[in-house]
Amino acid sequence: MREMPSPVRAAGRESPHPWAVEAEGLVLAYGDHRALDGLTLNVPSGQLFGLLGPNGSGKSTLVLALAGLLQPQAGALRVLGRPPSPAVRAYMGILFQGSSLDPFMTVEETLWLAGRLYGLGGRTLRRRLGELLEGFGLGERSRDAVRTLSGGLRRRLELARALLHRPRLLILDEPTTGLDPEARAALWQQLLAANAAGVTVLLVTHEVLDAERYCQRVAFLSQGRVVAEGSPQELKAGLRRDAVVVEWPACPPEVLAELSRWPEVGEATWAPPLLHLSVDRAADVVPRLFQMAGDGISSVHVHPATLEDAYFAIVGRPFRVEVGTP
Amino acid sequence: MTGALAVWQALLWRDLRAVLRSRSQLYSSVLFPLMVLAFLGAGVSGGLEPASEAIRGGDYASFLVPGAIVMTVLFSSTFSSASYYYDRDWGVLKVLLVSPHRPMVIFVGKALAAVVIGSLQALLVLLIASLVPPLDLAWQHGVLAGVLLTLLTVLLLSSFLAGLAQVLASHIRTMQGFHLLMNLVLFPFLFFSGAFFPLEDLPRWLQVLAVLNPLSYAVDLLRLAVYAEGGTFLGLAVDLPVLFVLGLLVPLLGASVRAQRALV
Repeated sequence: MREMPSPVRAAGRESPHPWAVEAEGLVLAYGDHRALDGLTLNVPSGQLFGLLGPNGSGKSTLVLALAGLLQPQAGALRVLGRPPSPAVRAYMGILFQGSSLDPFMTVEETLWLAGRLYGLGGRTLRRRLGELLEGFGLGERSRDAVRTLSGGLRRRLELARALLHRPRLLILDEPTTGLDPEARAALWQQLLAANAAGVTVLLVTHEVLDAERYCQRVAFLSQGRVVAEGSPQELKAGLRRDAVVVEWPACPPEVLAELSRWPEVGEATWAPPLLHLSVDRAADVVPRLFQMAGDGISSVHVHPATLEDAYFAIVGRPFRVEVGTP
Repeated sequence: MTGALAVWQALLWRDLRAVLRSRSQLYSSVLFPLMVLAFLGAGVSGGLEPASEAIRGGDYASFLVPGAIVMTVLFSSTFSSASYYYDRDWGVLKVLLVSPHRPMVIFVGKALAAVVIGSLQALLVLLIASLVPPLDLAWQHGVLAGVLLTLLTVLLLSSFLAGLAQVLASHIRTMQGFHLLMNLVLFPFLFFSGAFFPLEDLPRWLQVLAVLNPLSYAVDLLRLAVYAEGGTFLGLAVDLPVLFVLGLLVPLLGASVRAQRALV
């Protein structure tokens, strides 16, 4: 049986398109609910790009649209310079949110099946399997059933499978969810190596710290739209050093105006019952808040400002809860 | 097309491995029809002494062989169909669908794997039935022609059932619901397919139902191939066209419907 044209061989011949993803005004609705509501996004080739949004913000829908499994009802979408199609998928690797492994297949069988799906066979496939099993530390477990692997090893196997055909664009949907710190660090080591080798990585996540630490650029997604985009430093530019999140259910409206007059307070955002403040030094602000509020404050959380705070400041809603989406 | 062939081969390999791994599935698909032959066949032959002319010499066990083959295909198809649900629930379906192939190619591949596995199991039952001395198969057109006709029949029947399973799996969200439907609807079809009784002797209303039953054509054709000495109730000229239409159109319809509802 002859092999189909292999992306592993073809990838080297074509110069990469400057944009890995170009989306313009994408609309994709499930019934009355618009999962993507005019989404516009450009992901430069070669970057590690983060798409950050809470649950229900449209991230997974976008992944399926990029893979061509969901058709947007409006807007334009190009992946690696072409509309999504089976041919374009030959150059994409996708790591889905949650497990996507047959628990009864062995590690080697899992990779072999993926290789056959991408047109690899014979010595080429055997060589590639050997590289991946060794590179991902799966060699000793190659004949073990997937169900016997730890969560970290399973995720590593899925990443190895996504990289098997040497994709130009790697899409990762919540890749580190449920992993312990050690497994998370190991996975990131592999991802950074892939990115350093020229693979564009689109990280779709709600793990703020991962995006902040590893991504060159980040876009904030809210209710099916990109609401801000830039480097983590650019997105945090308007923030002061500390973030103070105050649970203050009955915060009077005039307090917000009062707080914005305090010189040590930068952004002040009210999303009932949370008051979010970006401040120079939390230690200077918190005692004064208690003087103002008395017993009205239920809790106070203080931390160094992160992208999560930038999201709150820009979107006007806390990152962990997406309002108005199912 | 070469790419599609490689995918179909890989999907067949995967599903074959799954069947070989799941011994209980293999045993129940093949053993249950053989037990029907042994116990029901011997019991009715000895205890009831069937007098129908369609049952040669009152040998009910041999008369059951075509029905047992159809039963094997039916069981195997039901088990194979469960893999649609497993693949969806394990997330494997999404991995297959984001490969560089159209969803139609993937679903045709899944159906082909089910057809090959169902046909192999059915042929195994025929082989065992041929080798057991008390079973008397007539092979009226010769063994080679009989085997080829059997192969064609089980391929078309498996193909029809695989297509039907794809349509059902596209609309029934849970595996429990799917099995319930198969048990409540498809298995009762066996009872008026001629698998257990000669259609010639049935009441008129049951004969009408039998003519509307797709399984009847497979049982009839298999009876013609391996058991009968002479004609059958429906006959080759009716059985073959009906099975060709069902076995070719329904799987295409199934893969097409499934491809449109790929993520269901």
